[in-house]
Amino acid sequence: MKFLRITALLTFLSLLIFTLGCNQAPTRADSKSSAIQVSQLETILQRGTIKVGFDTFKPWAMKDKDGNYIGFEIDVANKLAKDMGVQIEFVPTKWSGIIPALLTGKFDIIIGGMGITPQRNLKVNFSVPYEFSGMSIVASRELAGNRTTLADFNNPETTIVVRLGTTAAEVTKNFLPKAKTLFFDEESQTIQELLNGRTHALVASNPLPLTLAKEYQDKIYLPLKEDFTKEPISFAVRKGDLDYLNWLNNWVLVNMSSGWLQNHYQYWFFSNEWKSMIQ
Amino acid sequence: MSINSYPPSGKPARFPVATLVDTTKYLLVMTGLVWFLAVGTERLGYNWQWYRIPQYLWQHTEHDFSCGLLMQGLGVTFQITCISMVLMLFIGLTTALLRMTDSWAARGVARVYMELIRNSPLLIQIFFIYFVVAPILDMSGFWAAVIALSLFEGAYASEIFRAGIVSIDKGQWEAAKSLGMAPYAMYRHIILPQAIRRILPPLTSQAVSLVKDSALVSTVAIMDLTQQGRMIDAETFLTFEIWFTVAAIYLVVTLTLSGVVRILERRFNGSQQSF
Amino acid sequence: MKTQPHKRNLRISPLDASIILVLAGMLGYVIFKAATGLNYHWKWEVIPQYLLRFNTNTQTWGPGLLTQGLITTIKLSLWSGILATILGTVMGLFRVSPSLFKRQIATTYVGLIRNTPPLVLIFIFYFFIGDQIMALLHIDDFVYSLSNETKEFMSIFFGPMNRFPQFLSALITLALFEAAYIAEIVRAGIESIETGQWEASTALGMNRTQTMLHVILPQAMQRMLPALAGQFISIIKDSAIVSVISIEELTFQAQQVITTTYRSFEIWTTVLVMYFILTFMCSLAVRKLELTLRRN
Repeated sequence: MKFLRITALLTFLSLLIFTLGCNQAPTRADSKSSAIQVSQLETILQRGTIKVGFDTFKPWAMKDKDGNYIGFEIDVANKLAKDMGVQIEFVPTKWSGIIPALLTGKFDIIIGGMGITPQRNLKVNFSVPYEFSGMSIVASRELAGNRTTLADFNNPETTIVVRLGTTAAEVTKNFLPKAKTLFFDEESQTIQELLNGRTHALVASNPLPLTLAKEYQDKIYLPLKEDFTKEPISFAVRKGDLDYLNWLNNWVLVNMSSGWLQNHYQYWFFSNEWKSMIQ
Repeated sequence: MSINSYPPSGKPARFPVATLVDTTKYLLVMTGLVWFLAVGTERLGYNWQWYRIPQYLWQHTEHDFSCGLLMQGLGVTFQITCISMVLMLFIGLTTALLRMTDSWAARGVARVYMELIRNSPLLIQIFFIYFVVAPILDMSGFWAAVIALSLFEGAYASEIFRAGIVSIDKGQWEAAKSLGMAPYAMYRHIILPQAIRRILPPLTSQAVSLVKDSALVSTVAIMDLTQQGRMIDAETFLTFEIWFTVAAIYLVVTLTLSGVVRILERRFNGSQQSF
Repeated sequence: MKTQPHKRNLRISPLDASIILVLAGMLGYVIFKAATGLNYHWKWEVIPQYLLRFNTNTQTWGPGLLTQGLITTIKLSLWSGILATILGTVMGLFRVSPSLFKRQIATTYVGLIRNTPPLVLIFIFYFFIGDQIMALLHIDDFVYSLSNETKEFMSIFFGPMNRFPQFLSALITLALFEAAYIAEIVRAGIESIETGQWEASTALGMNRTQTMLHVILPQAMQRMLPALAGQFISIIKDSAIVSVISIEELTFQAQQVITTTYRSFEIWTTVLVMYFILTFMCSLAVRKLELTLRRN
């Protein structure tokens, strides 16, 4: 009888894997074509609400004291919804699972400072970029001492923290292949590791390293004066929907030429006016 | 876990045809369920790429065979589980003995420890030990995770130990005392050998829990099986394939352990009857 | 605890003294390390605003972010507790059913869930199964079709209605998971009733369903109650894990607050205390329930 139980379990498992493995070719074409027939744009307009996926990255998106989301991406999303004439609904999602969540239809668009990468582009479509962000490195004074080049960090004795699923993870792999890398789910956890002095450096998009180094001058510093990458940031949507993508591309162009995007970028990334809203 | 109906039917064995019908029905339902899920994923337009998975399990070139990332993760999971297991036994036994002493301070300490552990989520305990306690005490990340895990499981293990010791017949204690044995000798030669017999099966199922709970240390950047899965997922977006594979690996490990539990239970029950 | 619970004389034995000494030493060491070795500026005064805060827009006092999270945790646990009890009872009955088919279904379910880590299960449920169920029930359309008043009314029970689909998928995930454990409690409860009861009922001409409903379950229920209540505490604790699928419960809120304030030490300590108070109160209630049941 016990034998029966285990066989039943195993049969079920192998069935699951077998069916999922084999059952793909014929139905796929149908589902693709049906997705094209109704544009996501149409679905959003009918629903009257656009669902936006993002995760907290200071100052792209974060919670203010009242529990509302604020930040650059939140402004962008609000403007986008207003221009589309629909309500907005924010769906905060762990960054490491944000693309699977988009693919499984948990929201209509990712507006979360997502950098374009070829790997991601295999799974989702990107609009034209609406901003550029650079990677920077911020290091612990105690452990990293006076290292000032990337090469100083590229050895097996160095540990680097990055956030799981961010382009920082990829950049670290490319620029610092020899360093030991630790991955955390949350931005706060990576920062805490650095401040606790358990890791040599943190790699993240600016302005986080910049603001951190300013806030904790006694503990951490910026080894490099310049960002070492420049990444295009854009909206990510599901594949196979040209109408939607066209609308988004042109939205970026229009708001770029009117200066709206640059203005807001300036406000969130280089001013301190919003600091009082969060603490 | 039994698979028999309750109350047991008087008939010695079921009519084989009925068994066959039921099993067929079961298989049909399961196939239907799997088919339903598969169709649902098709509707989402998910592109299955199972062929990309084996490289994460193993890699082999002409004459070299090496473990893939997931298998390396499983190794770390085993490592964490084994160390935590030893610590868990130590903490569990100490706490159980503390709880049974005459000293009020000892009982108080054991009590506070158990209430604290059993009334807060393991995830929060791991975060707390990793981010708050470890930096204060200069602990490494790996040990912080292992200690958090052993402290958690130790509280449950101590309950098992205590139940085992309490279950020893009162006469045994009295006999040992009347022989003039010191408490240490009494525990060492009379009580523990008997208690172990009753403790071993539940302790092994605690080990199954330990394997499962060790997945949570992935949240503090320990490269265990779950963390490897998460990293591959974040890199390749093979979400479903990766999670099914990871779940299957855990299942194989825990089912094997559960099998050991059952064999142990049977052996100990058998030997007890022969007394 | 077992030894002489009635005699409470405060006599300090050598063991007591040594334990107290060791404890005091450890505590002193930790405090010493925290004060000197750790280069951290404690700022406990940031915490109260996350528990209770004065909203300047509406001029009223309201729950802070962490308290909001705690409320969501309670709501989530309550609803999944109810759902898990229903599903768990059905599966538990299936486990002892005379039909091999039903037993196989229930055994597969319980075996799969109990042998896989909750974290992995939650990912699978959330991305894979949750979606199918949501699509089947047309939850999205349902939420959008609601009037504002209904939304407000329902938000008392389920939290903000625009996040209802996520709340529901977390709820289902948690319930599916806990139901496997409840099924085992139910099975053990039913099996704890002596076979004599069944035989007596059969002799009275009752069929299986009648016996189960009128004879077995009422008795089994009483024996199961403490275990079920204990399982509810587990639900509260396990609900911390659903923070990985972005439900705004206590753990998630804590991480959000840490992201903006970087005050992880103070906030994790506060969160630990909040969970402890919640579950400890539940544990006390369970113990009381157990005592009352035993007395009857």
